Amino acid sequence: MKTRILGGAALVSLIATMAVGLTLPPTEEQEDFARLIAIHPAIAWVAYVAFGVMALGSLLYLIPATRARVWDRLAAASAEVGVVFTALMLVTGSLWGRPVWGVYWTWDARLTLSALMLALLLGYVALRRVTVEVDRRAMVSSIAGLAAVVVIPLNHFAVTWWRTLHQGRSLVRVSPGSELDARYIQAMLLGFVAMTLVYAWLLVHRYRLEVLEEEQGDVELEAAIAERRAEATEVLV
Amino acid sequence: MSYVLAGYGVTAAALALYTGYLLRRERIYRRPK
Repeated sequence: MKTRILGGAALVSLIATMAVGLTLPPTEEQEDFARLIAIHPAIAWVAYVAFGVMALGSLLYLIPATRARVWDRLAAASAEVGVVFTALMLVTGSLWGRPVWGVYWTWDARLTLSALMLALLLGYVALRRVTVEVDRRAMVSSIAGLAAVVVIPLNHFAVTWWRTLHQGRSLVRVSPGSELDARYIQAMLLGFVAMTLVYAWLLVHRYRLEVLEEEQGDVELEAAIAERRAEATEVLV
Repeated sequence: MSYVLAGYGVTAAALALYTGYLLRRERIYRRPK
């Protein structure tokens, strides 16, 4: 299946987001630093979605009735794409924090839990490299992928439950009559669409790669078994 | 403005690099042996 339409839509919406975001009017409080609103919340949204898809795939693999390799591949693909978005969430957040808060980083609840999200995703990706046998790898990584999901609600509500430097939940501000200007809301929503499309395109390609890697692994395994058999035959002869 | 440009620049660069990396890996596996 060709993904050109999805890729094209992702690229066009991403360019539009950047054009709209970079031309937003400066605000009184934050001057032009508020322009990061077009990308940072959207990147964070995708980081959450990627983490959630990894956990959902892991859950569906762990339930015997729904167990299929497709769920493990989906979890693996989403985790790797999630690493990129979670790292970008931390970098763009730091670049916004420096001029507005005065620091690139502080160990408050929201930021620490976001860093933990990245560590958990990297751990999941690393864990998949430990075991070569496909079924065992799927089982072990599904348990890890599902256990890790507890960080998502914790991080989402961190800004409500604890005092942090980070503002409250961004999506609440999208509602009509909120203090956020309509142009900012539009730019933020466009960013959500663009980043979601980019994530979907990357996910499809990463999934395909997972299938290709598994096939390659099977070929290599069969070749190795054939080689050992040939050695054994030589010894017997 | 430099922080804003850095944020947009890093985002564009990271997404472009990861896309290139994925497509390259896919091409290597699809290469006829």
